[in-house]
Amino acid sequence: MIAFLVRRLLQAVAVLFIVTIMVFILIHRLPGGPARAELGVQATPTAIASFNQQHGFDKSLWTQYWTWLSELMRGDLGYSFKENSTVSALLLDRLPKTALLAGVSVLVAVLLAIPLGVVQALRRNTMVDYVFTAVTFVLYSTPSFWLSLILVLVFSVNLGWVPAQAPQGSIGAVLSQPSGLVLPVATIALISVALYSRYMRSSTIDNLTQDYVRTARAKGAATSRILFGHVLRNAISPVLTLLGLSLPFILSGTLITERVFNYPGMGLLFYNAAVTQDYPVLLAVTLIVAVATVAGSVFADICYALLDPRVRYAHA
Amino acid sequence: MAAMLEISDLVVDIRSGRSTVRAVDGISLTLDPGRTLGLVGESGCGKSTTGLAVLGLLPAGGKVTRGSIRIGGNEIVGLREAEARAIRGRTVGVVFQDPMTALNPTQRIGAQVAEPLLIHGMANRSAAMKQAIDLLGEVGLSRPAAQAERFPHELSGGMRQRVMIALALICGPKLLVADEPTTALDVTTQDQILTLFDSLQQSRDMSILLITHDMGVVAGHTDEVAVMYAGRLAELAATHRLFGGYRHRYTEALLESIPTLDTPRGQRLATIAGLPPNLGGQLAPCRFAPRCAHAEQVCFDMEPQWSEQDEHGYACHLPRRTDADLMTESAGAPS
Amino acid sequence: MSIDLPDVADTTGQAAALDTQAAVEPKQPSMVLRRFLENRLAILGLLLFLAMTVFCFLGPLVYHTDQIHTRLSEQTLPPGPGHPLGTDQVGYDELGRLMVGGQTSIEIALGAALVAVVLGVVWGTVAGYFGGIIDSFMMRIVDSVMSIPALFLLMFLATMFRPSVLMLILVLGLLAWLAPARLVRGETLSLRSREYVQAVRVMGGRAPRIILRHLVPNVLGTIVVNATFQVADAILAIAAISFLGLGIPPPAANWGGMLSDGLNYTYSGFWWLIYPSGIAIIITVLSFNLIGDGLRDAVGLRAHRRL
Repeated sequence: MIAFLVRRLLQAVAVLFIVTIMVFILIHRLPGGPARAELGVQATPTAIASFNQQHGFDKSLWTQYWTWLSELMRGDLGYSFKENSTVSALLLDRLPKTALLAGVSVLVAVLLAIPLGVVQALRRNTMVDYVFTAVTFVLYSTPSFWLSLILVLVFSVNLGWVPAQAPQGSIGAVLSQPSGLVLPVATIALISVALYSRYMRSSTIDNLTQDYVRTARAKGAATSRILFGHVLRNAISPVLTLLGLSLPFILSGTLITERVFNYPGMGLLFYNAAVTQDYPVLLAVTLIVAVATVAGSVFADICYALLDPRVRYAHA
Repeated sequence: MAAMLEISDLVVDIRSGRSTVRAVDGISLTLDPGRTLGLVGESGCGKSTTGLAVLGLLPAGGKVTRGSIRIGGNEIVGLREAEARAIRGRTVGVVFQDPMTALNPTQRIGAQVAEPLLIHGMANRSAAMKQAIDLLGEVGLSRPAAQAERFPHELSGGMRQRVMIALALICGPKLLVADEPTTALDVTTQDQILTLFDSLQQSRDMSILLITHDMGVVAGHTDEVAVMYAGRLAELAATHRLFGGYRHRYTEALLESIPTLDTPRGQRLATIAGLPPNLGGQLAPCRFAPRCAHAEQVCFDMEPQWSEQDEHGYACHLPRRTDADLMTESAGAPS
Repeated sequence: MSIDLPDVADTTGQAAALDTQAAVEPKQPSMVLRRFLENRLAILGLLLFLAMTVFCFLGPLVYHTDQIHTRLSEQTLPPGPGHPLGTDQVGYDELGRLMVGGQTSIEIALGAALVAVVLGVVWGTVAGYFGGIIDSFMMRIVDSVMSIPALFLLMFLATMFRPSVLMLILVLGLLAWLAPARLVRGETLSLRSREYVQAVRVMGGRAPRIILRHLVPNVLGTIVVNATFQVADAILAIAAISFLGLGIPPPAANWGGMLSDGLNYTYSGFWWLIYPSGIAIIITVLSFNLIGDGLRDAVGLRAHRRL
C-alpha cells in the first residue's frame, strides 16, 4: 500500500511538472506577450523593452521558467498588475469560496445520486427507472449556464425565493448569506447528479447480478440486508472513484456558474484574468486547478484501494 | 419415514424477453433423510434450475408453473417471499459452483459464514462468530480464528469452497443443495471436498442433492442417481443399480464416453454426436432421439413412457438390454 | 477422480478461452446493428438527430431569411406573423437563425470529433506500439493535458487564437483527443502481446501493417462510440465558450452564441431569445448521447460508461 502510494504520488508530481512547462510556454506565446497585455496596444517599443527588462521577460524562456519555478517553490506565485495584488493573496481569498461551492455541490449531488441510482437499479426497466433515466439524460445534455438561467427565471424572478446574485466579499460574508448559494449549488449539483446517479445505477445493477448476491439470498437474507450489508458497499466504490475523477468536470462547472452568478471564486478570477490577459493569475489558477485534478485522481485511486480489499492487497 | 425432499411433476418456465423456455419439464424425485441423490446431466439440461427451484431462487423470469416441491413434508411452491426466506439458509443450505464469485469479495470470511445465524436470529454477533470459527475448523481450515479475518481472494480455491460449505451448514440445515461444488476446483481438491461432504453428511445426518455433470463424482459419492436430459428425467435408480444395469440410451452414451482403465489403447472414445437441443425450439418426442445412435422411427413418433421396475425407472423406447435381460432371453428362448 | 462427461460447459469453456481473442476480433457488424436497432432510446436519438439535421440543413431551402443584413427596425420582435419565433436584438429572424446557427454548431462539433479521433488514434497507436519510455512519456503528456479541466484550457486557447469555425474545430479537437488516445493505446498494448501479432512478426510481417490490419477493426467500436460522445461534448463546449464571450463573432451564427446573446435579455422577458436555441442545443446533444449510449451497448463496451 505504501509503495503503491509513493509510486502514485511520484507519477502525480511528474504530471504536474509537465503541466507547468506546458502552461508556461503557452502563456508566453500569448499575442504581444505580457508587456503588450500590461501596457496596452499603444505602448512604444522602448516602453515594452524596458518593461521586459524590468521583469526579466527579455531572458530566454527557460531562464524565465526556472525563475518562476523556483519562486513557486518558495510559495511566491507572482504579482498581478491588473488586480494590484500578489497572486497568492488573490488565491487565498478566492480558493476557499470555490472549494465551498464545489464541495457543497458535490455533496448534494452525491446524496441525491446514491439513493436515486439504487432505486433505479432495484426498479430497473420500470416506469420509475425510465423517468429518471430521461431526466438524467436531459440534464446531462443541458448547457449549465442555460440551466442556471432557467433556475434564476423560475426561483428568483418569478417566485422570488432566492437571490439571483451570489453574495460578495469574504468567505465569511458568503457563508452568512446561504440563500445566495442555493442557485449556484443547484446548477452544479443538478448537472453532476446526472453523471453520478447513472453510474450508481449501473454499478448497483452490476453488483445485484453477482453470484455473491445469490449466496446472500440463499442464506435467507431480505432485500434490505442484501442491499445494505453487501451490495451498497461494493457498488459505491466505483462511484467514489468517479468522484475524484469528475473533479475537472466540476471545476469547469464552477467556472461557468461563478460567471453566471458573479460568484467571487477562482473561476471568476480566471475568467477576468483571461479577458484582461492577466497572465500571472492565469498561470497560478491553471496550476491550482491542475493540482486539484491530479489530487482528485490520486484520491480516486486511494479510495478504490481502501474500499476494495482485492486491490489493497494486490498493491501491498 | 417422510422424505426429506420430494419433487413431483415439477415444471419450471423461464421467460426472457418474448420467448419462454421450459427448463424443467415434469420431473419427480425423492430424497430420503441422510441420503445423497446425484442429479446428473449436461449443461442446460435443467439440473441447476431444479436445484434453484428447491431453494426458491429461480433467476429473474423463472417460475414454477406446475408441480410441487416438499421439504420435510412442507410444500414450498407458492410460499410468500418472507416464508421462503425463513427456510433458505436454515432448513436448506446451498453450495455453489464457483466459490470465488459466490463469496462477497469485500467482506471477511468469518462475517460471511456467521451471517446466516444472524439472519435467522439464531445467535448474537459474538456467539455467531464463535460458531463460525468452530465450523471453519470442522470443514478443515487450519487456524480458523485467523482465517476468519481474511478475505476470500486470500484463500485457495479449495479453501474457499470449504468456507462456502461452512456458510451453507452453519444453521444446521437438513438438506444441502450442492450445485457443481467441485467443477471449479482442481482434481485433487475435488476429491478432498467430496470426502468432506461424505463425512459431514454422516456427522450431521443431512440429505444432499448433488448436482453435477461428472459421472465419476456420482459413482463414488451418491446413493441414488437421477439422469436428466433436456428438462426431463431420463433414468432414475440407486447408484449401484444404475451403474450395474443402466437402461436409457442417453445414460449409456454418457457412460461410454468415459475412458476407463480397461478401454483398449488406441480405441477411440465414444462421443455423443451433436449438441443438447435448444429448449426454446422444436423438440423431438424422445428428446434424445436426434443424437441417439439407436434411435428408430418410434422415437420420433411418440414420447417414451416412464417405466419402472424394482425402483429403477427410465423413459426410453429402445432401452439397452442388461446382462440379466440377455440371460433371461437366452433361458426363455426355445432351443 | 474425475471423469468428465462430454459437457457443453467444457466446450463453452474452450470457447470462453478463445473468447478473450474473439472479444477483440471485429464484432459482427450485422449483430451490432441489430442490437442497436432494438434499443428504443438509441432509435429516439437517431430520429432526433435526423430531425435536427433536416431542420438545419434543409430548412433554409424552404424557409428563406436574411441572416447577413441586420434590420434594426425589427429588433426583438415577439413571435408573430412573418417571424414565427420572433427576431433577435439586431433584427435577424430567430427561426432562420436557428437553422443557420445549427449548421455551424453541428459542423464544428463533427469536425472537432474527427480531429480528436484522428489525433487520438495516431497518438495512442504510436505510444502503445512502441511501449517503454516512449509510451510512458507520451502518456504522461496525455495525463498532463487531462489534468487541466477542458474549459480552462479552452478559454486559454480561445484568448490566444481569433475564433473562427476552423479554429474552433482545431481547438476543440485538440482538447478532446485525450480519451481516444488512451483507449487506443490500451488496445494497442494488449494487441501487441497477442500471439498472432507476435506470430506475424516472427514471420517477417512489418509493424505498421500488423497494427493497422488488426488494430483498426478491433478498436473501431470503441472509437465510434467515443466519437459520438465527443460530438455531444463539443456542442456543449461551443455553447460554453460562446457564453464566456470567446465564440465566433457575428454575423456568423451558432446556437451557443445565440443563446449567450439572448441571456442579455433575460430580464426583459424576451423568452424567444432564450428557449429555442437552448432547446435546440439540448435536443442535439441529447441525440448524440443517446446514440452513443446505444452504440456502446450494441458494441458491448460495458466498461465505457459515461452516463
